[in-house]
Amino acid sequence: SSNEHKLNFKKSKEACLSYIQDALLQKQWKRSAEFLTCYVESLEKDYSREHIGPSEMIWRIGTEILWHHSQSNVKEFSCFMEQMKTLGVKRYLKVCLEHVFRLLCNGHIDEAYQNLSLAESWRFGEQTAIQDKEMKLIQAYRGLLDYCSWSKQKNILLEHGEDGFSDLAVEREMHSYFRKAAVNLKEIIKIPGVWDVFVKCYVDLLEFYGDHNEARQVLNEYAYNSKFPANPNAHVYLYQFLERQGESKKSLISALKILHDIVPSHELMIDFNTMLQKSKKRKKRRLGLEVIFAALDYAGWKENAKAWSCLARQMKQIVISEKHLDWIKQEWNSRKDWWPGFHFSRYLAKRNWQENKSLSYEKALVAGILLGKDCKYFKYVSHQGCKAQLKRFRMLKKFVTRHNPVYLRISG
Amino acid sequence: MEFPATLFPSYFGAGPPREEGGPAPFAGWGEHGQVLQGVPGRRQVQPLFVPRRGATGELWEAADAAAVPVLLPSAGRWIPSPAPQDILYHSGLCRKLRPGKSGATLDFARQLGHFFVDHPEDAFGSLGRLLHKNFYLGNAKLKRPARNSTIRMTALVEDIDRLEARRGCPRQHLASRLRWFSHLCRDWLFEVPLGLLADCLHEELAQQWSDLLFDDSLTAGALAWLPSEDGGTPVGRLVHPGGQAMNHLYFQDVVLEELPQARGSPAQFELSGRIRQVAAARVDGQDFVGVRSDYHCGVWRVPGKTGAAPAPLQVIRTDVPASCLTVSPHLPGELSVCTQSGTVYLWSVETGLQQLRHDPQTMFFRDHSPWRWSDFTAHPRVLSCADRTGLQCLDARAPKRCHFDLFKVGEEAGCQQGERVVLPMYLGKAHPSQYLVTTQFSMYVLDERLPLVPVLKWAHMMKAPPLFAHLMPGKPGRSHKVLLGASRTQELLLLQYRVLGVSSGGSQSACQLAGTPQKLHNIAGCLQHLPTQLPHRQHLLQQRLAAPAAGLAATLQEDGPHKSMLIFQLSEAGDVFCQRLTHKAAEPPAPPLRDEEPCASPQPSPAVPSPAAALRYRQWLRALSRACREPPRHTRPPSLSQRRLFTRRDLEGPAGPSSLQRQMRQRLRQTMQEGGRIQRWEPLALQPPPLPQTLEPAEGPDPLSTRLTAAWAGDWEQWWEERTSFSVAQRQRALRERRRRQKRAKGRRSLSASFTSSLTYQSELSELSDMGPSLLSPSHPPVLSQEGSTPAGSPPVRSPPTSPAPDEALLSSQSLRCRGIPKERRKTLRDYLSVWAEGPPEPPEPLGSQASQLCIPSSQSQLSSASQPRRKRPRMGF
Repeated sequence: SSNEHKLNFKKSKEACLSYIQDALLQKQWKRSAEFLTCYVESLEKDYSREHIGPSEMIWRIGTEILWHHSQSNVKEFSCFMEQMKTLGVKRYLKVCLEHVFRLLCNGHIDEAYQNLSLAESWRFGEQTAIQDKEMKLIQAYRGLLDYCSWSKQKNILLEHGEDGFSDLAVEREMHSYFRKAAVNLKEIIKIPGVWDVFVKCYVDLLEFYGDHNEARQVLNEYAYNSKFPANPNAHVYLYQFLERQGESKKSLISALKILHDIVPSHELMIDFNTMLQKSKKRKKRRLGLEVIFAALDYAGWKENAKAWSCLARQMKQIVISEKHLDWIKQEWNSRKDWWPGFHFSRYLAKRNWQENKSLSYEKALVAGILLGKDCKYFKYVSHQGCKAQLKRFRMLKKFVTRHNPVYLRISG
Repeated sequence: MEFPATLFPSYFGAGPPREEGGPAPFAGWGEHGQVLQGVPGRRQVQPLFVPRRGATGELWEAADAAAVPVLLPSAGRWIPSPAPQDILYHSGLCRKLRPGKSGATLDFARQLGHFFVDHPEDAFGSLGRLLHKNFYLGNAKLKRPARNSTIRMTALVEDIDRLEARRGCPRQHLASRLRWFSHLCRDWLFEVPLGLLADCLHEELAQQWSDLLFDDSLTAGALAWLPSEDGGTPVGRLVHPGGQAMNHLYFQDVVLEELPQARGSPAQFELSGRIRQVAAARVDGQDFVGVRSDYHCGVWRVPGKTGAAPAPLQVIRTDVPASCLTVSPHLPGELSVCTQSGTVYLWSVETGLQQLRHDPQTMFFRDHSPWRWSDFTAHPRVLSCADRTGLQCLDARAPKRCHFDLFKVGEEAGCQQGERVVLPMYLGKAHPSQYLVTTQFSMYVLDERLPLVPVLKWAHMMKAPPLFAHLMPGKPGRSHKVLLGASRTQELLLLQYRVLGVSSGGSQSACQLAGTPQKLHNIAGCLQHLPTQLPHRQHLLQQRLAAPAAGLAATLQEDGPHKSMLIFQLSEAGDVFCQRLTHKAAEPPAPPLRDEEPCASPQPSPAVPSPAAALRYRQWLRALSRACREPPRHTRPPSLSQRRLFTRRDLEGPAGPSSLQRQMRQRLRQTMQEGGRIQRWEPLALQPPPLPQTLEPAEGPDPLSTRLTAAWAGDWEQWWEERTSFSVAQRQRALRERRRRQKRAKGRRSLSASFTSSLTYQSELSELSDMGPSLLSPSHPPVLSQEGSTPAGSPPVRSPPTSPAPDEALLSSQSLRCRGIPKERRKTLRDYLSVWAEGPPEPPEPLGSQASQLCIPSSQSQLSSASQPRRKRPRMGF
């Protein structure tokens, strides 16, 4: 009955929430704001033990509305956020963090920094695990902002340095930023997680002050600690660091080898392949062939002309020298049942020819060597190339026809 | 595709999820999640920060007030699946007694009661007949002598009613009379063992109930849109199931005008099971469509050109219901199949099935659900396998050795307790190494290069788990659109995400969610725009429109500056509805600038449907009421459709009345007009006889006249005796003749032929012993002669072609055997069918040499049962 409905606070609360949800999902911000003002009443009788309490809901809904509402501004938003922070004690840090994010995205860096410092000093009872994590993040973001200030000072100093003028005060300020940033950044990257931004900043700081050992240790830890997720970027950063340090080819290759093992489709594999191809050792050249074959297995590389030219170049070398044909044979063995359909269909020949002639040239060379001169892809491309009177394609046809026996040896 | 140079920060933990679970109705709002420092541009001193969620997206607006039907409803009444009130026990008392979550009580007793009432013959047929005299249903008191052997049932029924009224009462006691009765009869009264029946029923009820709560057989949906290759005309093909049992597969060409319009009639295939899933992928300019039903999976190839006919390629059958079928986007004719027994196959049309994994256990922790899923990844030889606990990728070349975990329900992805995988989907069209995983709480985007850590996570807040998802890849720099759809609640949500952040000066950035999620129209929402119906019709309409969704498809349409999106939704009733969203270019897809809040709310969708949509609604309603019109009841005598027992080909008879029949009819009509009479049913002398020689016994009048005369005179029985002995003699002659011929032919025939013929002979004999003499009685079913063999003496008018009498050819033991009906059932079937054929007295037997030809099927003609003339039944004396 209606009377019952009037009395049943919970029921009307739920109804109100469903109206709000409906309005939000249809982007009716004004309507949802009106409903939200009604919902605020529910705070008075908040005995709920639900996963998300009314205070958190109000915070979330209110934030969303203020993001999109035509008449809202940053000041109003900050005011709302301050209220929300006091409303839910348990969520204080979370709300702070989100407030900071909003400020950062809108470019209010200084205000964000103030908020972070304020949040850092917040204490309330015993910290839960989640609050602990949030606190660490707050510190890390403060470190990040300190780093930004540091790099700003650094740029000023470098510009001035070119003028042969050094400012001690600026330098001192810069160092203090360094210390503040380093302390906080160092903390967060000890905890397992994805900390690309923080690691990059920290390593930059360390490198600037010449602490290469610490930087190497941090990067090694980030890449090889098994508690961390298998993040390809960790290996990329390490590789880039080693490159900057002018390390030997051997250590660069070993860093990339590990990256190849975890992500065979990483874009650095082209660099890796060229590096290996240049090597004098047979084993490394062999690895190079493996690497480029493995990369081309992936759908994302299908139309990568650079990769195909790497493969074509290396295969051409092998065919001309007639040494190590068994390498090709071994790589081809596990692919011969699906590469023809995946890479060398007639449909693809047509499309590649239309869209990218040099890609189709490289692919046709590979197809001609692997599948012989009767392969659909090679036939179509070489035919089109000869018809268009492109010298390159005529040479290609000659080359493949001359070396057709190789195909028999590979497939046999 | 390059790997993002920096990823959004996140914690990484291992182990079971720590966060307490539960639906979080607003968890998806108001959160940026994390921010990432963009690369500062040359001029900018301050770096820009990019949020993980909350960036502006494209603005899409609904073009119409509600979803509009695309296809007219198919004929045949839709039978809604059971509702909770059909299965559950409803009683206020009961609800109070059982508080808490497990409030659902299956109304098992009512269902069993329904069975007893609806199928009394099956439930207690024979004993009911035996005890018939011992039950008294009246109100009067029983008299002394009868009371010894008769029970008065009325009191018992009253007791049962009283019990029903007190149901749920904790202090209910069985009435002693009922107890006594059930104690007495429980063991012997029922035809089917009661315990067994109850077990089966309970199992079925529990199954139905769990399907009602969450039916995962529909995962990924049974609707696909195949865009046409030639980009000029906006045409495409809709692949959807239909028919009353949803076992017809349709390929319907659709023109995308203002409202999508079906063009031509669809290509149609009848399948042997309800279609659960339709999956499609385009490889090398051709579409491959995989169709899954419970025990069969099939694959069709559809050439990209418009108007080209779809070609079925292959079908596989599984012993355990299949739970997944996905089509490879890399290689033509490759699919992956999972069954509920935990087996994953790579299915290639050329090379067949390859088993990749067999594990009835779930992967990461124990979960009871037998649901399994599998999809393709960026590497054509690496497949993902999923169950409710997570996803693994395995290499088809060495599935045992090479695998890695892609997603785990656990702390790694920040899951909640009780979270389960609902639908994984490969997002290859947008990004070759990305994956979508939906759970009942959240949606995750994963990158297979960074396993276990989702690159995007968002709480979708949907009321029912998203069983359907559809990806519409955006052009470089624009957002990809993902549609999530739920089944029971028909919810539809549009999300946008970006992989390449143009925002940060063209450099690579991680995956971010763009814009706010948007709720789209669902099928049920159009009810308010339909013209009002009579109350009961309105109710039916509401029921039909609210049927759970069964599929989702969409397409992006770009016509110069006008971009629009068409979204198709399929319901379990087989209706396909569609809505158009148009793109508003007003909002630039740029990052939020300082202080400049993203623009205000869009215009609300129009309140009334456009005239074209209104017209479509009316057409659809009209077709619906036509399709659902109930056949007039109780006007026709009950008839048994042979089509349920036999396929159409089996029943294929003569196309129309034979020329002889036509002639006869014409003659009859003519005679009736003239008011004259027909003395002899001979074809007119003027017309050339179509048959070699229609038979007419030379001696005496035709058998009918003789019989009638005999009946009139009263010695009809004697006539019958004479006749049977006559026909027995005739049959003896015929069989002897046949054996002689067989003997003669033996030398010439091949071994297999003689084997067939001897087999036939034996079965004929056994059939004779089966049938017994009862069939010889005058009430014997009519003998309908096949075309071309109508004996002149039998009036064909008497047996109209639409007669419900079964075609006798179907009853011959050969044809029954041909259809694989076991011997012991043949008689049952024959008796069963003969019941329906009442009627006309037996026409005379054809005589002479033709008769012998008719009754002895030659070994060549027995194989084609449809054209085989009827073999005569009465064959006493052998």
